[in-house]
Amino acid sequence: MRRHWPALISLGLILAAWIVATQLDWVSDLFLPGPGEVWSALLDLLQNGYKSRSLWAHAGLSLERVFGGFVTGAAVGTLLGLAMGYNRRVEAVFSPFIEFLRPLPQLSYLVLLIVWFGIGELPQILLLFLTALPVSAVAAMDGVKGTSVQRLQVARTLGASEWQIFRHVVLPSALPEIFTGARLAIGVVYATLIAAEIIAGSTGLGWMILDAGRFLRSDYVFVGIILIGFMGLALDRVLLATERRVVHWAGKA
Amino acid sequence: MAAGFAGWGLIAAFRLAPADLLPGPVVVAATFLDVLRNGYRDTTLGQDVLATLYRCGVGFLLACAVGIPLGLLMGYRARLRSALDPIVQFMRPLPPLSYLVLLILWLGTGNGSKIALLFLSAFPIVVSSATAGVRSVREQRLQVARSLGASDWQVFRFVILPSALPMIFTGARIALAVAFSTVVAAELMAATDGLGWMVFSASHFLRNDVIIMAVILLGLLGLSLNRLMLAADSALIHWRGVE
Repeated sequence: MRRHWPALISLGLILAAWIVATQLDWVSDLFLPGPGEVWSALLDLLQNGYKSRSLWAHAGLSLERVFGGFVTGAAVGTLLGLAMGYNRRVEAVFSPFIEFLRPLPQLSYLVLLIVWFGIGELPQILLLFLTALPVSAVAAMDGVKGTSVQRLQVARTLGASEWQIFRHVVLPSALPEIFTGARLAIGVVYATLIAAEIIAGSTGLGWMILDAGRFLRSDYVFVGIILIGFMGLALDRVLLATERRVVHWAGKA
Repeated sequence: MAAGFAGWGLIAAFRLAPADLLPGPVVVAATFLDVLRNGYRDTTLGQDVLATLYRCGVGFLLACAVGIPLGLLMGYRARLRSALDPIVQFMRPLPPLSYLVLLILWLGTGNGSKIALLFLSAFPIVVSSATAGVRSVREQRLQVARSLGASDWQVFRFVILPSALPMIFTGARIALAVAFSTVVAAELMAATDGLGWMVFSASHFLRNDVIIMAVILLGLLGLSLNRLMLAADSALIHWRGVE
């Protein structure tokens, strides 16, 4: 508890400033709703939902898209990255595309995807797929390339087959990087999803924020932001826990 | 690369996809020249590129100017760190666009809300990397420097800063990349110039040639920003990895 008191004090100060500022009407409710209002907005949303859908449905739809895009993108990206790490030719063929795709602002091609595939789930999931793919591919490639040459030589000298080398030498040393890449990817995917929903969605938490903003319901906007923040935090924690369990040898090599 | 380009050219040449939806390389190149000469909807191409770079640059530099000193302090002072770290860690995974709605409400639709957005998206990354940089200094070196009689300032200048700088630079590079992809998103929502605005506005008129041109420009711009940071990194921090 002693360790936590500075954090509690700073959070308490922020909360106090928030309460004082809203109670004394320094700022209009329209711009900054008080904690009480945000709380009752949350209860209201939980009970009545937002625009004919429950709050859970919006959150669930957002999560579904994140998983749809992340799982496919990370799977394809990792496989591609492994191949690129193994084979220089494969790397030479794909790396220009990956290098170009990586720094490209995701939302700039969302517009193209919408023109090509219409409005709906497909362009959004495709966007998230394209967001996760380069991040995972680069991580997997770096992971394979980071395998110590000495270990490879030792394994070969001891007569390991290609598959055995992959399974017992390359994969274990690449997995920590692959997981780091996956955590990075899910963070980017999550941020992109909210942006995509704001611009092109009609459901989900991101869309709810935008829509509530249009009607100046800043209490709903606050609820949405806080929920999105906690969901993002939870996603990262889940992945971190999986990582610790699966690659228990990370950092011990 | 050439294969991808050829594939694009072939699809366009044999009309495998409707030309409206996927204009060929020639059309896009012609559009580029046209936009370069005549501009796009009352903005010149240079103006749009500069508007995007300006927002991105100001937001990013402000974040560095505030975030690096704060992060260094947080690395030094355990109390400050535990007081501010929860806030920074909550901001970090928060998608920037989720609070853009609030910023627009507070600061209006002009450059202010966009720069604030980019500042906030780059800030937690810069702070965390500076904090982590200070924390990664080896205890042994600090003790050696102190026992050789170095003053606090000397310890900071010659021991802590050199070991923290590589991490700070890596953080800054990531932050710039995030700011760059966020600026486009911000321009999609409320803007009258900038490359992101160009993409969005072109989509209203089904000008896919303009969209593809702008996307390519954005990709090249992002790539060069990254290269620039890498070059600055290797020029300034020549001791990276030479431990």
